[in-house]
Amino acid sequence: MTKQIELSGVNKYYGAFHALKNIELSIEKGSFVALVGPSGCGKSTLLRSLAGLESISTGDLKIAGELMNNVPPRKRDIAMVFQSYALYPHMTVEQNLTYSLRIRGVPKAQAKKAAEEVAATTGLSQLLGRYPRELSGGQRQRVAMSRAIIRDPKAFLFDEPLSNLDAALRVHMRKEIRTLHDRLGATSVYVTHDQIEAMTMADHVVVMKDGVIEQQGAPLELYDRPANRFVAGFIGSPAMNFVPAVVGEDGRSLAVDVGEKQTIVLDRQLQPGRKVTAGLRPEHLHFVEPGQGVFRLPVGIVESTGSATYITTSTAAEVTIVETSRRQVKTGDVIDVSIRPADVHVFDGETGLRV
Amino acid sequence: MKRLLSSIRDGNGFDIVLVAFPLGFLFLMAGLPLLYNILMSFQEVDMFSLGTFLRPFVGFKNYQDLFALPETWPILGNTAIFVIGSIAGQFLIGFGLALFFWVNFPGASWLRGLFLVSWVMPGLVVGAIWNWILSGDFGVLNFMLRETGIISGNIFWRSDPNYSLYAVIMANVWLGTAFNMILLSVGLASIPGDLYEAAELDGANAWQRFWTITLPMMRSTIGAIISLGLIFTLQQFDLFAAITSGGPNNSSNVTQYWAWDLSFRQYDFAKGATISVIMIVFVMFASVVYVRSTRHEVRG
Repeated sequence: MTKQIELSGVNKYYGAFHALKNIELSIEKGSFVALVGPSGCGKSTLLRSLAGLESISTGDLKIAGELMNNVPPRKRDIAMVFQSYALYPHMTVEQNLTYSLRIRGVPKAQAKKAAEEVAATTGLSQLLGRYPRELSGGQRQRVAMSRAIIRDPKAFLFDEPLSNLDAALRVHMRKEIRTLHDRLGATSVYVTHDQIEAMTMADHVVVMKDGVIEQQGAPLELYDRPANRFVAGFIGSPAMNFVPAVVGEDGRSLAVDVGEKQTIVLDRQLQPGRKVTAGLRPEHLHFVEPGQGVFRLPVGIVESTGSATYITTSTAAEVTIVETSRRQVKTGDVIDVSIRPADVHVFDGETGLRV
Repeated sequence: MKRLLSSIRDGNGFDIVLVAFPLGFLFLMAGLPLLYNILMSFQEVDMFSLGTFLRPFVGFKNYQDLFALPETWPILGNTAIFVIGSIAGQFLIGFGLALFFWVNFPGASWLRGLFLVSWVMPGLVVGAIWNWILSGDFGVLNFMLRETGIISGNIFWRSDPNYSLYAVIMANVWLGTAFNMILLSVGLASIPGDLYEAAELDGANAWQRFWTITLPMMRSTIGAIISLGLIFTLQQFDLFAAITSGGPNNSSNVTQYWAWDLSFRQYDFAKGATISVIMIVFVMFASVVYVRSTRHEVRG
């Protein structure tokens, strides 16, 4: 596989503010990469640096093997879909689509034909004569994508493109973008704050926080082996439960501080007496018959979505459990819960790193 | 009666009262004089019939007489040159300055505000200042042109028939540029920045972005500023009074100054009114363009 985008030792400063810290990232040709993190984590800055809309302070940025640090955006051959779509309001859909071609002096007839072809694949054929103000949010989104596709660029950049759509359309467009990506064999970088979008769409997820890449890898790798507490809490919904714990004398048992101290037996050996944080995913906690479980937990709040029931305990360190069986529980009950030893994540009590 | 009162307190009646005041004011202060002016252009008016309302009706005789005068066409031509020259100068320099301040360097907004000084100055004061600048013997303009080698001898801007009109145009451009700049700045500021980013990624260079994004997005602002410019330049009176008084020999005379001159200096109120009516037609046209261009705002 060839590397389409390579970043090494990239730093970005805004005055004294250090926005991107030593970014190392390489993106393979044809892959779909999601940059995900809370707002202000630097993911948009990173994307804009790829586009050339921001300049990087130090480090190397290569696109298709060429150093791009000082190349202006218009010469990078990269297409971007903006959060606001940034459609040209004074141009029809067709003119919006053909803008980049017209700028490059492609003959009118050829540009028109290209617009029609792209419009046919994105379902815009009937709308070519309309102005952006006459389109719905989903249609505008499609125009923005078509405008990127028509250029056949080296890479597609998406800056939270779905955040202005309603929930149902968002789920639909998620699939549409991924299908389009696969069909075009394109290289895409997708910025989002929604970890579900990142998990469902991307081949490679990059989790960022405060300008640092906390972890990157395949979606399930991040889910199964989060490198630290932050990634563990960010990936997965509802979020992972964190409870303070101490490794027992034997190094294999974990005294967990929920309500009364309870003990989990691990499948691995740890340093005895070490203070750690146990990470328990809500979906890994299961109801068991009384006396069989590792936890006995008092029920606090019960929320049912129909397909699943979310149970939050009334312990000091709140624990959320997702249960898909329809077992009746109500506030004040005491339930027995178990977890497979392999599903217990252990993080260092101070550094938050995976143990 | 009770229903009427309650409607005025809270209902349609209240809206009507609110609208009636400005409408009534407008009709009294602008509408009636306008109509009276039109009426007067079809009447025979002399010093003795000034105080009366109904005077002998003469049809289009005033118009025929006016166009029979030898100075009418040159003055109309002067007006056209004045309007076009002023608007072109104000607009181009104003747009240039607006683009310059758009770069937003430190102190840009402060400096831009300072430019408005020229707009808030009374026309007569501006005229007095320009009289010094334009002065043939000791004027700064002549000095600069001479020192840079553009001219060899002094130009008597205000008294040379070849230059007098352009002297007033220069002063008027200076006076109106700041206003153009402010309106155009507002127009520029309302263009979303991401359009430029999108265009840049689409491969457009700065010049192409200006032609394909800035100008089309500014269309309504430009339409408004040019029609406002037409209205303001046709109203420009003070500068003529201060700088050339329309002379020498009508070489810098324009319709708005001539109308006043005919009415209040030569007491030919009928012809003064007739010229005003011709100007009303042009201003009306500009107003329609203005209203239309501000209505068709293109915004995404």
